[in-house]
Amino acid sequence: MSATESAAVRASESDPANVIWPILLVEDDDADAYLVSELLDEAAAPVEVTRVRTVAEAVRGSAGSACVLLDLGLPDSEGLSALRRLLAVESGAPVVVLTGLVDEYRGAEAVAGGAQDYLVKGQVNGRDLVRAVRYAIERKRADTAARALRESELRANERARLERGLLPRPLYDDRRLRHTARYRPGRRQSLLGGDFYDMVSTPDGTVHVLLGDVCGHGPDEAALGVSLRIAWRTLVLAGVPEADRLGYLQRVLVSERLHDEIFATVCALSVAPDRESARMRLAGHPPPALLHPRLAALPGAVVGPALGILDEDLTEEVHVELGSRWAVLLATDGLLEGRDGPGGEPLGWEGVLPEISRLWPDGGPDHLLDSLIDRVEARNGGPLTDDVALLLLLWGDD
Amino acid sequence: MDLSLTTRQEDNHTVVVVGGEIDVYTAPKLREQLIDLVSAGSYHLVVDMEGVEFLDSTGLGVLVGGLKRVRAHEGSLRLVCTQERILKIFRITGLTKVFPIHSSVEDALAAHE
Repeated sequence: MSATESAAVRASESDPANVIWPILLVEDDDADAYLVSELLDEAAAPVEVTRVRTVAEAVRGSAGSACVLLDLGLPDSEGLSALRRLLAVESGAPVVVLTGLVDEYRGAEAVAGGAQDYLVKGQVNGRDLVRAVRYAIERKRADTAARALRESELRANERARLERGLLPRPLYDDRRLRHTARYRPGRRQSLLGGDFYDMVSTPDGTVHVLLGDVCGHGPDEAALGVSLRIAWRTLVLAGVPEADRLGYLQRVLVSERLHDEIFATVCALSVAPDRESARMRLAGHPPPALLHPRLAALPGAVVGPALGILDEDLTEEVHVELGSRWAVLLATDGLLEGRDGPGGEPLGWEGVLPEISRLWPDGGPDHLLDSLIDRVEARNGGPLTDDVALLLLLWGDD
Repeated sequence: MDLSLTTRQEDNHTVVVVGGEIDVYTAPKLREQLIDLVSAGSYHLVVDMEGVEFLDSTGLGVLVGGLKRVRAHEGSLRLVCTQERILKIFRITGLTKVFPIHSSVEDALAAHE
């Protein structure tokens, strides 16, 4: 919070009788400065006036003041340029201008140009002056609050839009195959990062699942994550064989990325029509973990480089037996890179599986995912560095 | 924790000794160093990571970028690393297939012969 805001907030939130407003009076004429001070004294105004003679001094003092009273006829500034310089100060105080009787029209111009009010020297009394200052402070505060609200609404909209793009409505029709997902952004930014997932079925009944992570954090990475997700969805719907999809996805990544150090890790699973097995491909991504019938990470030794590193796709297919009733958890490395205490080793599945065993199956899928991220954050000693995306797939009766 | 970088010539290789944390904040320093070396005509690099305490995806990206740059000149980028926590990162991300990883600078230099 800036000095101005804090001064203004103090002025409005506390008992007005106890608040002293720091006022900056910008006035080169000693007699006029004396006059203004007298008017404020006469009204017993709760102000502490600092007087400066030049715009340069005023610009330096603006952010520490609750309000600036600006004489429009200063020597180091012509006309309205003093006002413009003061309004350009970041977190600067609201400005009320003072004009002479002969140039009152310039007061109206100043208000049109962003001043809160104008007062004519020699005509204004103490009460009007204090009221103008008070209103200026309150209006500025309301403007600041409205702008902050607007900005936070824009951020929330942006985030919701990206979230819709990254975390889609899966395209498959099998009520017995249930899924639950969670997304939690890391501590480095308030926006979403580049984690994404999708699920799409093909006419043979196979359900194709993708979970990925664009390296880096921020809206650009998130937008790239959305592009990759939609590209993958299109590849699946268009009937492109599994073996070719990641190669195409890599070409999309290479053509869409901002610079050539950006890569993406993905885990692709194709769950067979009978749901008893899956084919898995890992590109720089940690394997999923089986939660049921036993608690164990799926084999992660066969992993190709992340997409965007080489020109070719080196992933290999791994066959995974799942059985007649199973639960599989896909995770991005934001979860697995949670450390075991500040400065400790990354947890990996070795560290995360014991946490899962305390939460699962009691409490159900939603509880598991929420509590798991909380527990890993607690182990980490604070919010996780990277974004976390979790996708839990459940097959078979409860 | 910051990143420390020193370079030295050994045979026809440039050895870059990296220490500390390679993350989103410090990786640009390593990137610059690799770019400078390649611009100056050093196409055979050995990056000694024994003193690296932390490596994130940005750091991996910088190493991959360095590899691409030296390969464009028919060069090589070898890594020296024996720390399990760092090796694990290369394994999980499939980069053990991309980077030759050695247990000492001598091994890395010998492997090139």
